[in-house]
Amino acid sequence: MRRRVLVLLALAGGSLAVALLTVGPSGAQVRPPPTATGNQPAGPADVEGGRQLYAIACTTCHGAEGAGVEDRGPSLVGVGAASADFYLSTGRMPLDRPRSQAERKRVAYTPVQIRQLVAFVASLGPGPAIPRVDARQGNLPEGNRLYANNCAPCHSSAGAGGALGHAVYAPPLNRATPVQVAEAMRVGPGAMPIFGPETLDDEQVASIVRYVDYLRHPDDRGGLGLGHLGAIPEGFVAWVVGLGVMLMAVRWIGTKD
Amino acid sequence: MGASTAAKRGAERPDGGAAEGMPAERRIAILLLAATAAALGLAGVYIAGGQPQAEGALLGISLGGIGMALILWARGLSTEGTVMGDRGTLAGEDEDVEAVEEAVEEITDEPGRRSVLKLFWVAGGALVLSAVFPIRSLGPAPGRALLTTAWRPGARLVDEEGRPVRVETLEVGGFLTAFPQDAEHAADSQVVVVRVADGEIRPRPGRENWSPQGYIAYSKICPHVGCPVGLYQQDTRELLCPCHQSTFDVLDGARPSFGPATRSLPQLPLSVDREGFLTAQADFDEPVGPGFWNRD
Repeated sequence: MRRRVLVLLALAGGSLAVALLTVGPSGAQVRPPPTATGNQPAGPADVEGGRQLYAIACTTCHGAEGAGVEDRGPSLVGVGAASADFYLSTGRMPLDRPRSQAERKRVAYTPVQIRQLVAFVASLGPGPAIPRVDARQGNLPEGNRLYANNCAPCHSSAGAGGALGHAVYAPPLNRATPVQVAEAMRVGPGAMPIFGPETLDDEQVASIVRYVDYLRHPDDRGGLGLGHLGAIPEGFVAWVVGLGVMLMAVRWIGTKD
Repeated sequence: MGASTAAKRGAERPDGGAAEGMPAERRIAILLLAATAAALGLAGVYIAGGQPQAEGALLGISLGGIGMALILWARGLSTEGTVMGDRGTLAGEDEDVEAVEEAVEEITDEPGRRSVLKLFWVAGGALVLSAVFPIRSLGPAPGRALLTTAWRPGARLVDEEGRPVRVETLEVGGFLTAFPQDAEHAADSQVVVVRVADGEIRPRPGRENWSPQGYIAYSKICPHVGCPVGLYQQDTRELLCPCHQSTFDVLDGARPSFGPATRSLPQLPLSVDREGFLTAQADFDEPVGPGFWNRD
């Protein structure tokens, strides 16, 4: 009786391993959040609408007319449309708790409201505009190289993100849209350094954007990517599942009938 | 599951193979047919363009089916019950043992041979002694190579593509990794260049003119165990080593503010030449990287 249980276990483990190796990652596809402004030009009406929205939700921390409030929120004068669009379209702003790391969450505004707020912030002072990126213009191997040199130290080679100092982390990149990736490079949100046009030109940004997009659905030769966390989870599955099944099989072979 | 259980089962099933229900022959046949089908399927998938996971699964079924069939054959059909063979005794006959002992005594008891035996010890000792000398093969002593890098006075900073770094390359809040021009592959010379607001840096005595226009450069090699200090937290002006989380305060001469590193990152004295390119004033004023045996 016990032997039959063992055989069943071995079979179950074996099929589990096969399933693990065959099924590709399915949880990776996440509906991209609404991209903020599109390319519609913002008019004076937008600035006015943005001013009203700003007065309701942003003034507490960023002050009247984006002047900033000490120990609460930075000035928004001159941060530019790219910064406002990045923070609003990823749901990072409005912030839940002041002085905590801004995290991607549900977007609080409609695309039209975001366009208005972005137009208002952009009107406060000159700053980087929302970058236009066409990932198809990017070169994938070039993007891989640039990503490895500039982005991977913090965001990890697979774009899974990683820990930094002071309880801050570099976020995973799997949900960032091409525009948001480009905005982050130009703006340097939070702890991230700025990669300006003199450091990485628009073509290089497009290449990186294309590579980040590729990382979302990489070619997993083994089947399951295991969260693309690298050799340790892969080794764990190989040792525990693979070796476990083999041990049970060896026992079954060696048991006398 | 002891031998007695196995024996009892054997008694219940005198034919030695047929399990409950299905005879072993039929099981083996099913496994072999499945293996055949999987192998043909494997060929089909390959011809149709290939799909790694399906191919792996089919190959597994094919090999596994043949293997399982072989095991079932061995267990069920090849013999009728367990065969036991005598192994015999391992020890030699008593008179043989005695004869060998006598022969050994005869050989070693002769006085001349005893001194020859001592020579075995001498030869062995000499061999051990000779093994000391290959230490020389570890290579030449590093000399001053650990104390200096490829930075020369006036050397331009270039990025990993070999493009010279100009004074407008970085915005405030930006950073990049740079190498000495014409020595782009000198791994010990790589520096991380950071730009902060002018006047924000608190230079150490004697380093007041090392950071023009908010540009400041530090060795990228962690003084702890030599990992690349490639993470820059722009909002707190800190460089972070990914290996053991050593954190360095950029504004305060890269003083370690957290983690196992005990020394500051060596700072490269920078200047801007007349054409607007960033250059090194001189080499680092201290060895880069982790400590070594004859570091001061």
